[in-house]
Amino acid sequence: MNGRLRAVLRGLLEYVAPPAIAFAVVIGFWEAYIAWRDISILVVPAPSDIWERFSDEPGFFWREGWWTLYEATLGLALGSAVAIVLAVVMAHSRLAERALFPLAIVIKVTPLVAIAPVLIIAIGFGTTPKIIVAALLCFFPMLVNTMTGFRDVNPGALDFMRSLRASPWSVFWKLRVPGSLPYVFSALRITYPLALIGAVVAEWFTGDRGLGFVVYSAWLNLQTPKLFAAVAVLALIGVGINIALSLIERRVLFWHESVRSTR
Amino acid sequence: MKPIRLLLLLAALLAVSALVACGDDDDDAGDDASPSATTNATETLAPPDEMTFMAGFKPQANLPFVGAYVAQEQGFFAEENLSVDIQHVVTPGDNFRLLGTGDIQFSTADATALLEKWTGDPVIEVVSLALIGQTGQQGFAVLADSDIQTPADWAGKTAGYKGSDVTPDYLAILEANGLTRDDIEDVRVGFEPQILTEGAVDIFPVFIANEPDTLERLGYATRLFTAADYGAPTLGLSYVTTAEYARDNPEITERFTRAVLRGIEWADANRDAAIDIVLQYAPEEDPEHQRYMLDTELAMAKAGDVYPELGIGGQTLEQWQALHDFLITHNGLPQEIADTSAVFTDAFRAFSEAE
Amino acid sequence: MATDTHHVSLRGLSHIFTDGRAPLHVLDGVSVDVPCGQFTSVIGPSGCGKSTLLRIVGGLLEPSSGAVRVNGGRPRDAQRRHEIGFVFQDPALLPWRTVAGNVRLPLEIDGLRRRAADVDSLLDLVGLREFRDYYPHQLSGGMQQRVALARALAVDPGLLLMDEPFGALDEITRESMRYELLRIRACQAESAAGKTVIFVTHSITEAIVMSDRVVVVTGRPGRVTADVDIELPRPRTQEIERSTPFLDYADHLRGLLVGAAA
Repeated sequence: MNGRLRAVLRGLLEYVAPPAIAFAVVIGFWEAYIAWRDISILVVPAPSDIWERFSDEPGFFWREGWWTLYEATLGLALGSAVAIVLAVVMAHSRLAERALFPLAIVIKVTPLVAIAPVLIIAIGFGTTPKIIVAALLCFFPMLVNTMTGFRDVNPGALDFMRSLRASPWSVFWKLRVPGSLPYVFSALRITYPLALIGAVVAEWFTGDRGLGFVVYSAWLNLQTPKLFAAVAVLALIGVGINIALSLIERRVLFWHESVRSTR
Repeated sequence: MKPIRLLLLLAALLAVSALVACGDDDDDAGDDASPSATTNATETLAPPDEMTFMAGFKPQANLPFVGAYVAQEQGFFAEENLSVDIQHVVTPGDNFRLLGTGDIQFSTADATALLEKWTGDPVIEVVSLALIGQTGQQGFAVLADSDIQTPADWAGKTAGYKGSDVTPDYLAILEANGLTRDDIEDVRVGFEPQILTEGAVDIFPVFIANEPDTLERLGYATRLFTAADYGAPTLGLSYVTTAEYARDNPEITERFTRAVLRGIEWADANRDAAIDIVLQYAPEEDPEHQRYMLDTELAMAKAGDVYPELGIGGQTLEQWQALHDFLITHNGLPQEIADTSAVFTDAFRAFSEAE
Repeated sequence: MATDTHHVSLRGLSHIFTDGRAPLHVLDGVSVDVPCGQFTSVIGPSGCGKSTLLRIVGGLLEPSSGAVRVNGGRPRDAQRRHEIGFVFQDPALLPWRTVAGNVRLPLEIDGLRRRAADVDSLLDLVGLREFRDYYPHQLSGGMQQRVALARALAVDPGLLLMDEPFGALDEITRESMRYELLRIRACQAESAAGKTVIFVTHSITEAIVMSDRVVVVTGRPGRVTADVDIELPRPRTQEIERSTPFLDYADHLRGLLVGAAA
């Protein structure tokens, strides 16, 4: 037991303490700076104000955060699904790749804030436009990473499967798909936060739920502590997602050197 | 990293933040000029008092903006020995925030927004110097060819709202027509008129002096409903400052109010020339649309019973109290304002009676 | 498997790679017959097309000119009939599969539904039975190659093509792997002399220890410059490496290689 306890303590010391201390230092500087320069709460709230506002109704913030997360997750699923299907098609057909990849780039390059209002007029109000905006943001990174993952197979393994006269289908499922998982995960690390951002941005334009809306209405009403509290909750959600993805990745990608060597 | 290096890094960070902090000192020097200058500005030979007036979101022919533009271009500010920097709001709430921090001195505000600031967190004591809009700016537009003839027909339709929730004006119209919020689907919308013209919503929130004309010019005739039609005591735009500033700088406040009201008078008598002045600040705007805006707002400034008695910009406790009570009953304010007489003052425009 | 015709037959085999900037002529006029059950090493300096030769025999590459016959037919057909097994220098095991999973892979691809017991007996053969649930990254290089060998043997091919399979291993492991391979081959022998093996290597010692015959390929483009039968008794043991005939063969082959390099 003693050994176990020591291991946990060591884990805390190594992984939790450093960022916690860094964070505390930043918060401390922030609080002190505001007090020292007497900065109005209308401009930037002090961490103590933010905490006060948050602890007034933490349930409210978590509820709204859950809603945004929900939209972001659905958007991620949609964008990834489309991206993966396209990646499969493009991996097997250079013609398809030449035809479709430029379209994908157009989507990537178009600014969200231009698309969102148009989408809302076209699709209507409610959750759907937000899911679509989130999906649009996720689409391109997931597409590129999955395509690379499909391509980047161990040539020796590919040779071996060819030596067995394996069908392209067999090669795809047994070799390319599992081999692309590291890329998919690294894409998820990028795209999940993007999906969050997409949902938040979409919530700016319409709807009355979600942390994006909370930020928007707090902004309109000059409620800076509420605004910052909402942003902080969003950041926490982002961190939580990252941790969850890391844990899942550890289990699924145990065989990949990137996971094994991070110790 | 060795502890000594960590210490050096922290010291460097501290030094950098100290330098950044010192940079702000230069900005503070400018703000002190106005309050301290008032004590000296008794002689006309004194240097002009500098201040900032913040108009709304974009330069256009809203009447309070026009008053300031004209005062600037026709020299009314200069005659009052004022040097006014006219700015416009960039992000919503800028004017209140900057009034609150003392970075600007005068602005315009909608009457409802003004009252909200007295119940906000933190409270910003915004005071109305002259109530230009005697009736509220909000309207609700439906396309002329829709089957909605009266608000009773709103039942089962989709209504849009801007901002964070439906407004008391909206709720008042519903109430007056025997509807509840559940009878209509309300959705948050943006500012694009396509939302109405493409039928995304049936009822679209507008500024009375603005979108109906814009839509008309796009080929879409509209019907307009306002809360005032159903007896709601709505009010429009005011010239505002903070209670503190008015208290500490009564002379400057009076001179400013005089200058802008003269500007409005002049615009009333010289409408075409006034539009030309507006276009100097808003060169991209359509002159005819600006003229529509000006005409409509002048009419709204002369509406009601206060104007014949007190002239343009007149305001009474009854008006403000009525609006306050209206907002309280329609969820427009989180709590009551103890002393409504504090939100406005006529002290600085009493002079306008002496023509 | 035909016993009177040769297992592998090459006639005037040439190959030119055209996908680079300039055409690369790697093989020229190679003609070799390999009878069934013979262990043939192909030896020569780098860049002489030995790997290319193996890939052509195995059906992974179509030769520019010349004829290739495996069991009297095209290599591709032999592949399709599971008559060829490959072992490369890089074991290229699928890292997300266990040892057993990797050995099972060829069976899944071909739809040969063999029982799990077969996988285990293959692992027994290469001495890795107790590692069946380990993952490749947990094994040493030598062990991974043994898994690769088991995998190649999973479809029970008559012909085994091996391209410097021990090239990436350290000297000590390499030495023991040679004898391991011979032992495995002997175990597998149900009929006649055992599987036909074509074994590409750099190492003279390795070639002599393992083979019945050594084909020397040198030059650019590569040509067959010598074909030496190794008449040493089987089973081969470590003592043989110190015997005079062995050393004579080694000198002979070294001289051929050095002469060619000159």
